[in-house]
Amino acid sequence: MLLNRASSGGRWRVRPDGPGKVTGGLAYLTDMTTDQMLYGLVLRSEHPHARILSIHTDKAKKLPGVRAILTYMDIPGLNAFGIAHPDQPVLCEERARYVGDALATVAADTLAAAQQALELIEVDYEVLEVVDDPERALLPGAPQLHPGGNELHRTVFSRGNVDQGFRDCAYIVEETYYTPRQMHTYMETEGGLFVPGEDGRLTVYSPTQHGFMDRMQLSRILAKPQEEIRIVSSPIGGSFGGKDELNVQPYGALLAMQTGRPIKIHNSRWESVRAGLKRHPMKITMKTGIDAAGKLMAHQVSIISDTGPYSTLGAEVLNFATEHVIGPYQYEHLDVKGVSVFTNNGMSGEFRGFGGNQAIFALEGQMDRLAEMAGMDPWVFRKLNMRQSDDLGPFDQPIAMTDGAKQVWEAIAKCPLWMEKQQLARMSHSGDEPWIKTGIGAAFTMHGAGLGVGIPDPAGGRLALAADGKIEAVFGYEEFGQGLLASLEQMLMEQFGFGAKDIRMIIGDTDVVPDSGSTTASRATAMMWKSLQKLKAPFSGQLLQRAAAILNRRVEQLRLAEGGIKGRSEEALLLSYKELAAAAGEPIRCETSFSFPTSSTERVGAHYMYTYSAVVVKVEVNTLTGRARVLQQYHVVAAGPVINPQGYLGQIEGGSSMALGFTLLEESIMEKGHYITRNLDSYLVPTIEDQRGLVEVEAIEQLPEGDDYGPRGIGEVGSVTLAPAIAAAIRQASGKWATKLPVEPSFLQETPFFLGKG
Amino acid sequence: MSEEAVKSETPYVLRCFVNGKEESIHTTPAARLLTIVRDELSLTGTKRSCEIGRCGACMVLIDGNAVNSCLTMAYQCSEKQITTIEGLAVQGMDPIQQAFLEEGGFQCGYCTPGMIISVKALLDENPDPTDDEISEALSGNICRCTGYGGIWRAVKRAAEGRRQTT
Repeated sequence: MLLNRASSGGRWRVRPDGPGKVTGGLAYLTDMTTDQMLYGLVLRSEHPHARILSIHTDKAKKLPGVRAILTYMDIPGLNAFGIAHPDQPVLCEERARYVGDALATVAADTLAAAQQALELIEVDYEVLEVVDDPERALLPGAPQLHPGGNELHRTVFSRGNVDQGFRDCAYIVEETYYTPRQMHTYMETEGGLFVPGEDGRLTVYSPTQHGFMDRMQLSRILAKPQEEIRIVSSPIGGSFGGKDELNVQPYGALLAMQTGRPIKIHNSRWESVRAGLKRHPMKITMKTGIDAAGKLMAHQVSIISDTGPYSTLGAEVLNFATEHVIGPYQYEHLDVKGVSVFTNNGMSGEFRGFGGNQAIFALEGQMDRLAEMAGMDPWVFRKLNMRQSDDLGPFDQPIAMTDGAKQVWEAIAKCPLWMEKQQLARMSHSGDEPWIKTGIGAAFTMHGAGLGVGIPDPAGGRLALAADGKIEAVFGYEEFGQGLLASLEQMLMEQFGFGAKDIRMIIGDTDVVPDSGSTTASRATAMMWKSLQKLKAPFSGQLLQRAAAILNRRVEQLRLAEGGIKGRSEEALLLSYKELAAAAGEPIRCETSFSFPTSSTERVGAHYMYTYSAVVVKVEVNTLTGRARVLQQYHVVAAGPVINPQGYLGQIEGGSSMALGFTLLEESIMEKGHYITRNLDSYLVPTIEDQRGLVEVEAIEQLPEGDDYGPRGIGEVGSVTLAPAIAAAIRQASGKWATKLPVEPSFLQETPFFLGKG
Repeated sequence: MSEEAVKSETPYVLRCFVNGKEESIHTTPAARLLTIVRDELSLTGTKRSCEIGRCGACMVLIDGNAVNSCLTMAYQCSEKQITTIEGLAVQGMDPIQQAFLEEGGFQCGYCTPGMIISVKALLDENPDPTDDEISEALSGNICRCTGYGGIWRAVKRAAEGRRQTT
């Protein structure tokens, strides 16, 4: 089904969080203020790599209005954070490893006083050699950034014997691909309000993608029991993975506990750029060979990932990339190696696509090159080598079986935009503007959802009939714009029969919600759906039994409806939810907890659930300016039932725009460990002018009979296939193979024919 | 962050109209309108994001023109009519806001107030804009979530709605 407003009919709904967003009435956590509030700021390292000889705060402390200045000596608990492995200092003691490293934090009556205090803190540094290249970081003699050296993580996966495989190949493509340090560029920078209570508890109002993870990490830092910390974490002005790790929370929390006053922190854009996460820049080298018939024989891959100074999820991102450089194809012989390397560059971490973006750009690039070499249509070539529905996953692991690969392949094969590629091939580019050249390309993927084998991946939620008669849906997930609340509301209406006004949704507050796991890895909608499936019978049953007793009817005669209980085939309301809640009896409340489904393999990070997707894209290259414009996109996504059509469409449109930036515009440029691109004047993300072309999204909903996993994730998959599709289109337009992203204009520029020699 | 630059300046009383209401604000001549609106008037629908006039999250109308409030100083607002996102919904929602709701022209919503302000300025001046004109009018408003698909739909719907009602 082509997803749009018309095809969705009544399922296209106004989001419940919409009115507050379009009127400006919704207060984000960085909009909050309170009485007695102080302003917090963080002093960060001037150098990407330095020994810290001393930090003097005496002068700064004497400044009027300054209430606290904290250094590493003032941390009651663990001076470190990191979701997977806490090795990032909250406040550095003796060494700074990147320009975002924090050395001190200040609270003052005004922002101006806090700013001035930062300037009065004196730090003596001994500047150390900067490790700004992951390959050089691995050479003997390179400065070692951590006790365990400069390697964060290595991955290996092999099958057969590639050397043997390459000997049998008719064609071999060897290529190296480079991907940029992309910035999330959420419009709301990091921040929040940190409020100490009279009871000794601390309330943190600050965006995150997993409130309970923040609570655990802050508990370690503050040496304070988790129960004494409350994390309120939604609404969020964008995250895309970037706010999953702690950012300003340790400083706000420490200052609040120290001063006993509420602390407000809201990063400037430069502070956000400097300290925040980015997508891992990767260098991916591939050697891939086919036999004379076009069958993949051998695939050899080497990934080098620049993880920056500390771990966060660098190892997990590499695991994901390792899985996705293998992807949806069958190979006789396989040899994949990856290494994630510490450097003094910016922090790399979690970002929508999670290493898939880089991997798929490279892998699909190989497929297009091989097809061309063998003289085959690139889409036919993919079909020849594509996995069958009952094949094992990329790591030879059992996966939830679907026909997604075939469905997506077929939808592209018959889509008009793809067929236009053949016509373009026959057309000569000799119009009025011969410097404008057009091409069409396509790419394909299977993208894993959930955290994968070996990582705790809890899920669950709660439904209750509240005392005021509202149906309360309580989940530990976060709303950062993706439309989680809209999807939850729509499921409650469609699956239970409630009206929107009957429902109260509660998320993002660790005092109230169950731990539903993280709102990451394209997992939340699937896990809410599964929770509701599990809760449907018990919760509906309890509501109806209570109603039956009150109404003196049989349960089978009643149904849940908008506003309350109705007869099976009657329209009249028999009992409102408010009346039901007022009736005597045990509270009606059902909770479920389970885990995201995982594969029965030992392979850490291997996935069980996959979304299949592909995109065809039409691109125009102006060989005078060297600019490429995306004219049209047609996405096909096989992810099971569409829960929320507006949200689904928005995720693919938005994800692909991020991918457009990744391919054509975006790069955080660093020089010797310093950021050159410090704000949105030099770090360019797509504007509306870059997004003028038609974007269509076809959703394939059909799942195999008996599949009870429900909707697959769609939060990331829109952002992973566009880059290789654009590269293929550029190839057709210009004859050039882009191997480095973003594609530079200088790469596409050509000397105009009229400037050539006559 | 640049407030320290203005702290030593002479006090200044800014007289202007904000969302139709007359205001006298004790500030400094170079104080940024963004700070005044958010911190002095608690109108937090106007958002802070890049603070260098590139993203449009802080846009407000000054005498009907969309401007970045992060680049506007207090003295420039003297006697002006300033409209923030909170001032747009006078009797119920503005049709532009309604169009954004219905077409899904937002996700996280952080750019949305500034975006809607820009659309308001555009359609007030040009009720029937071409795609080129829409693109130019909104090219100073960055949205990171939607990929602008819903925004294109919302602007077209809003323009169409206006034409039908006039």
